[in-house]
Amino acid sequence: MARLRSRLYYAGLWLISLVFFAPIAWIVLASFKTRSDILAVPPKLFFTPTLENYVDLFQRQSLFLQLGNSILLSLGAVVIAVFVSFLAAFCFSRFKPKGTDFLMFLLLSIRMLPGPAVILPVFLMYAAFGWKDSHLWLMLFYAMFSIPFSVWILKGFLDGVSTRFDETGIVNGGSWFHVIFKVVLPQVRPGLIAAFIFNLIFVWNEFLFNFIIGGVTTQNIPYALAVGTYADGGVNWTFISAMTSVYIILPITFIYIFQKYLLVGMTFGTVRGEV
Amino acid sequence: MSAIPSRPPLARLFDDRRTMVLTLLAPVMLFFIVFNTIPTLWLLGLSFYNFSLTSGMPPEFIGARNFVQIFNSRNGIWLDLSRTFTFVVCGVGIQTVLGAALGFLFWGSRDMPGRRIALTMLFAPMVLTPVATGTFFRFIYDPTFGVLNAISNGLFGTGPIDFLGNPSIAFWAVLAVDCWMWTPFMTLMTLAALGSVPKAELEAAEIDRVPFLRRLSLVIWHHGKFILMLGILLRTIDSFKTLDLIIPMTKGGPGQQTRLVAMEVNKQAFESFNMGWSSAYSVLLLLISIAMTSVFIYVLHLRRRREG
Amino acid sequence: MTVFKSPGSGSKFVLPRRSLLKGGAALGMSTALGAPFINRLFAAEEHPLAGQSIEMNILGIAGWVPSSLGVKMSPLFADFVKEKYGYNVSFAFAEAPFSDLFQKAATSLATKSQEYNIIISDSQWLGALAKPGWILKLNDVIEKNPALQLEWYSQTVVDTYMTYPDGTKDIWGLPQEGDVEALYVRKDWLEDPKEKEAFQAKYGKPLPQTFEDFDALTMDEFEKIAEFFTRPDDQRWGFAQQYSRVYDFATCAFNNFLWSRGGEIWDPATGQIEGILNTQQNADSLQAFKDWLKYCPPGATNYGIAEGIDVFTQGKVFSTIQWAAVGSAMITEELKGKVLVVPPPKHGTGDAAKRICSMGGQPWVINAFNDEKKMRVAIDFMNWWYQPDTAVEFAKRGGNPCDKATLSRDDFNDINPWNQTYKFMLEEGRSRDFWHDPKYSEMLAIQQEGYSSFVTGQSSDPKAVLDYIACAQQQILSDEGVAKTAPSDACATTSL
Repeated sequence: MARLRSRLYYAGLWLISLVFFAPIAWIVLASFKTRSDILAVPPKLFFTPTLENYVDLFQRQSLFLQLGNSILLSLGAVVIAVFVSFLAAFCFSRFKPKGTDFLMFLLLSIRMLPGPAVILPVFLMYAAFGWKDSHLWLMLFYAMFSIPFSVWILKGFLDGVSTRFDETGIVNGGSWFHVIFKVVLPQVRPGLIAAFIFNLIFVWNEFLFNFIIGGVTTQNIPYALAVGTYADGGVNWTFISAMTSVYIILPITFIYIFQKYLLVGMTFGTVRGEV
Repeated sequence: MSAIPSRPPLARLFDDRRTMVLTLLAPVMLFFIVFNTIPTLWLLGLSFYNFSLTSGMPPEFIGARNFVQIFNSRNGIWLDLSRTFTFVVCGVGIQTVLGAALGFLFWGSRDMPGRRIALTMLFAPMVLTPVATGTFFRFIYDPTFGVLNAISNGLFGTGPIDFLGNPSIAFWAVLAVDCWMWTPFMTLMTLAALGSVPKAELEAAEIDRVPFLRRLSLVIWHHGKFILMLGILLRTIDSFKTLDLIIPMTKGGPGQQTRLVAMEVNKQAFESFNMGWSSAYSVLLLLISIAMTSVFIYVLHLRRRREG
Repeated sequence: MTVFKSPGSGSKFVLPRRSLLKGGAALGMSTALGAPFINRLFAAEEHPLAGQSIEMNILGIAGWVPSSLGVKMSPLFADFVKEKYGYNVSFAFAEAPFSDLFQKAATSLATKSQEYNIIISDSQWLGALAKPGWILKLNDVIEKNPALQLEWYSQTVVDTYMTYPDGTKDIWGLPQEGDVEALYVRKDWLEDPKEKEAFQAKYGKPLPQTFEDFDALTMDEFEKIAEFFTRPDDQRWGFAQQYSRVYDFATCAFNNFLWSRGGEIWDPATGQIEGILNTQQNADSLQAFKDWLKYCPPGATNYGIAEGIDVFTQGKVFSTIQWAAVGSAMITEELKGKVLVVPPPKHGTGDAAKRICSMGGQPWVINAFNDEKKMRVAIDFMNWWYQPDTAVEFAKRGGNPCDKATLSRDDFNDINPWNQTYKFMLEEGRSRDFWHDPKYSEMLAIQQEGYSSFVTGQSSDPKAVLDYIACAQQQILSDEGVAKTAPSDACATTSL
């Protein structure tokens, strides 16, 4: 009886997962259909699959440039952000300088303005300094957006790491550098990975700033999607389904691989909760 | 006990707390100042001017007239705000409740076969590009070509339902997509929150046969509060800015039913290039957002993680 | 070469060494420059840029055939100038979707950047790009370049793609793609004997079969046909047109009704909208516009260009009012030979019946901040574009040129199935564009919202909707100084 119950329980959970995944499955399915099949009424579940969409996709000019840019910009930005945020979070957690609360709040306010509001001043600034269409400066901009969440989450994790570790490290003659990077950092690795993945997801899908302050050399995939959605006046269903299917592979893979880090919460010192 | 080795002078420099704080915070503050403060100040300044990018004329100082215009506006600012609030409150509410429920359900499933895959599938909606999501859901909702109508018509025999064209249900149809995308995020946050609970305390509560609800409030809530609240906070802030999802689906239509505040900013800043007006509007939105967040943080004591 | 006279020097024939050297260098250079000319004296013309390599950037509309045609044909231009003028040009392209293109162009031009040397603009943006001085005024250019002094097919072409402000003689753009509204119908359904019989039996008239039949057709008669083909049970409907709130879709489709029934949207001379847009006549037109939803598939309230193409190519509708520019997308491989492209039906009855439809299309505009070299190339490009060969090539690839000479060719109608209708609608008085005012985007957004609100049933009174729109637009124009009068007091109570 208990086995039946747990079987039903698991089946229920699987059903929920499938329901959430269904629209994505639909998109992936569509990427193997011809345009007529996609638009067929009633919607076709069974059809002869075709690889044509993918062939067309990979023959698109600039595709690899855009893919490369997406990867480079996202990974670069988030790595920088997490590193910088870690330093700041360490400071807030250990030294608790005056104004910590205020600064933490201020950082959060970065996310509050909608893109279109800041795009023009940012654009003018970038144009004035000649930072347009530059990988480095676009990456730095994305890094800034990733900092708030990273700082908050890392501080939470760091607060859970007892200061005794720091003291031990210093008493044993280590420098702060040693304490930060060799003693404390490994303990908050789950937090670092969580911050990394969350921010990766947000930056991965960024379009507006790449469109306006990026340019031809830094174009990324969301830009390609926006530009390629319409072809010859009609919606290019085959392109967007194939492109989307390819584009979600990386984030989903990351979520799969690093799942346990995402699910591990913040804990006190040594006792770790399991999920 | 060996003598404490002496450390090189440079390292000793960092013993000074002050220097340490400054060094650690410097990168973040630099980022903040360059990429955030400067644009925000510009925005603040420009909100007192009348500046249309396409008029070819230089900005003209008009004091607080932009703000007055916003409050008197016939563009239905209040309607937009109330619509946005409804969107945020209902959206985050549904996402949190549903997300937490799913989180609890999945929490106890450690032995489920293929759990990792199931969870990955559950989290997948978060990673789609909003533009693609909007375009595809537009298709899914379409009365002629869409899957939903095929199901509703085929299985339940309802007539064609125009989800995005019907003024009474368009708003909820759009909200449903937002919930679809972000409920998994709240589930993730819940699972992380639950993971924060030390196993020892949980087991102690079980042994003491503390009823579930009490267990919930005493043990689980106490430890998991922080990360869950962080998730809700983040979702609220982001939800207030919803834009990318709505534009491909309805662009604010039918009529004005799905028009949210961020879209008005987008329209003014980006389509009409009324920089002064849109800056003023953005400043207002920022103030509202700050107010919301402060209340939130204060009420939930997020600033300090309570010890013990 | 200047001759330097040192003060107080005696002889005037002694040339200081420096200017001698300079002179020698100049002579040498001109010989070097002249060398290519000597070879091509008979095939080429002298050109200041000869021997140089220039890079040009074109900003075009993503996913829009005529724009991509303009872009695809640029290698032909490169070949042409190499032959004729002796310089190399290479092109780089940037694209943005319709709804974002103006943003991309405006942000770039606002910083006086040379990022985009030539831009394919939408016709209504002309004012917004001209007023701040971002694009080049072309009157002088046209004067100096005979190749650009073309006779255009009709005054409509000049008004739509070239002139701003409306009614003046200032020219800011040159037509890239002409576009008009056309009615696409399923010829195979019309020619089906069973359908013909059934229709004759039901209405006592035959189904129209030819271009001329449709030319004479009125909306009332057409309604019967649309009704006849509306069979929801078979998943078929009689008609589709654009109702979407996005961009200018609902406006363009509704203006067909508004103008054809004798209404106006504004008075360009005084900038007056109130009292002109919100008349009872226009309100009736708005109601009629909405009534046609009953012959359209469900969800038509969200239809823009793309959806119109989808429903037609999937065989869901008998007819669609759609732009001529997307003809190649509307007539797919499967539909070849099954589609007839005709003018939209007339509104009204008898001799007073007429059709006045929206004008689409895009002009070329030139960045005002181009440096001398790029400006020269841009002008050469225009000269080349309007050559008869280029225009015909453009038409053969599916584009719509606008000059009289090309359109008057005997074989023009045969190049594309929609060409006959295109020419027809391009004639005087049959098509119109809406305002080119720099504030067009705000005015457009308001009326898109209003029309969408009405057709989806959110607002129920067409006159009230028009009042709201007219008042809001009047406010915008009067703030701008274009309209002479401010909105009236009645405006305080309008809302959607």
